[in-house]
Amino acid sequence: MKKRTLPVIIAISSFSVLLFLFGLGWAVKDQLVDTHSELQPSTKETAGNTEPSAKKDNKITVAAIGDSLTRGTGDDNGKGYVGYLIEQLKKKSGSSIAVANSAIKGERSEGLVEQLKQPQIQRQIANADVIVMTIGGNDLFRGGEALQSLDTNSIEDSRIQYIKNLEIIYGAIRKQNPKAEVFHVGLYNPFINMQESELTTAIVRDWNFAAAESAAKFEKVVYIPTFDLFQLRAEDYLYSDQFHPNAEGYKLIAERVASLITVQEEGKTK
Amino acid sequence: MTSLVHNEMLKLLRKKRLYVIILIIAFLVPLFTYAQFKQIQTAAEKLGTDDWRTRLQQEIVDTQNRLSSSRIQDEWRKFLKVRLTQQQYYLDNDINPQAPGAPTFMRVFAENSIDLLLPLLVMVVAADLVSSEASGGTIKLLLTRPVQRWRILLSKYLALLLSVSFIVLMVGILSYLISGIVFGYGGWNLPLLTGFSVQGDELVTNSVHMVPQWQYILMEFGLVWFVCVAVGTLTFMLSVLLRSTAAVMGIMLASLIAGAILVNMVSSWESAKYFFMVNLQLTNYVSGMALPIEGMSLGFSMAVLAVWTIAALVISFVVFTKRDVY
Repeated sequence: MKKRTLPVIIAISSFSVLLFLFGLGWAVKDQLVDTHSELQPSTKETAGNTEPSAKKDNKITVAAIGDSLTRGTGDDNGKGYVGYLIEQLKKKSGSSIAVANSAIKGERSEGLVEQLKQPQIQRQIANADVIVMTIGGNDLFRGGEALQSLDTNSIEDSRIQYIKNLEIIYGAIRKQNPKAEVFHVGLYNPFINMQESELTTAIVRDWNFAAAESAAKFEKVVYIPTFDLFQLRAEDYLYSDQFHPNAEGYKLIAERVASLITVQEEGKTK
Repeated sequence: MTSLVHNEMLKLLRKKRLYVIILIIAFLVPLFTYAQFKQIQTAAEKLGTDDWRTRLQQEIVDTQNRLSSSRIQDEWRKFLKVRLTQQQYYLDNDINPQAPGAPTFMRVFAENSIDLLLPLLVMVVAADLVSSEASGGTIKLLLTRPVQRWRILLSKYLALLLSVSFIVLMVGILSYLISGIVFGYGGWNLPLLTGFSVQGDELVTNSVHMVPQWQYILMEFGLVWFVCVAVGTLTFMLSVLLRSTAAVMGIMLASLIAGAILVNMVSSWESAKYFFMVNLQLTNYVSGMALPIEGMSLGFSMAVLAVWTIAALVISFVVFTKRDVY
């Protein structure tokens, strides 16, 4: 056996030396010597399976966009209202549900406008049966910064900008997907128990009203109020950062959204 | 010369080291295959879809979210930003960098084992090439033959090169064959992007081009081989210098592991980039995953490794031919 294996191994090894030398040479040439300047984004035809494949069966597809609330910041279970919503929908419909959560912590309305320009996000929107979103909390509170200087003028300015962006966002969603139901989870006042709560509450109400107004201009866009959920016992439903909801708070939001989504037995939204 | 090399290969085979290494690989590959299989499954379960675009999009968003966290280090943030641009680039060009298949597994396995696992395996073979002759006393018998000393050492070194190549080839073949059972054997022509380079903390994409996966794999294995030869040569030098195989192994092991730790610190301690062990991850340059460190590029890392290799060779030959053997 020894007599046979040795020459074989030597032959294989010598061959592999040549092979790897060749590979190494190619790597050096490709990476260091050649300077490729031509760039071909014409790869659409090389990837043959480009067709949107997500929508093959009867399951519900949910697209979630927006800020940290959609992300679930503050929930010890890490689910956020999207997670609880999915659980409830699963129970209701009995089928599996696909979620694409593209929310980014700290996202503001202008960030979302930019994000909605990305082709893959657009694809997810187009494929979705249900779209849930939160946006505006960071425009309004800027991580608590706005509270220090309750400058009504600058807040008014950002409100106008926010509404403008919001209509662009709704428009972009509707353009990609004219059929899906859009649920925009509204703003609440996390600072309701702090000083000057009257002023902050008035501002939040103001923003919510304006946002609901613009939502009404679009078909099947539902603006879901959350202000009342956190009105009376904010401390029970807020996370320790006193800004994001905690698990209980998210469950409240999820219940509210879930009650608005009707599913048929086979799992398709009406 | 050929018969000398033949003789050395025979000794290597007698020690059964190569078989042990093949066994190790044959044991590890199914493990990783299973792990990756599981990973794909859980990801599909979580998202409710097995569409890779959704998954990649999700990864991008996750990276974006991590970027917005205030508790991450600057270096890591830079790296994530580069990653992000790259992922977005793949997505925009509609290329799935992780399309399942045996070639993809083979590529990822090579990329992940280049800095530690493979050098360790090579070390196992190289560590006692000369030192075992010294500690076993057979070196005297060997040197009494009417053959010049440098020829003896050269034959040992060539035998080492052959077995290193053999190991790398086996890693390729075994990872392909075994993972193919689960992932299927196709995917050689999958387009991949290469040529990413980093300037400052920006990802430069103007020399990015597409290569088919088979070429990509061939290039990566060339680099893997280069790294293994460099590590093998250094171990070989230690084996000449020290009589104890355990000491050789200890030193190599320590420096390889130190390298794995140092890699993360090079950004703060720049001159560490001249150590051989922080330059082992050559494949990262090809895939554009390298940590963005000033002055480190494929050319630089290869030059560092080459200098260390040549120095090790010179030292080995000088010491071996000059040394008193008693």
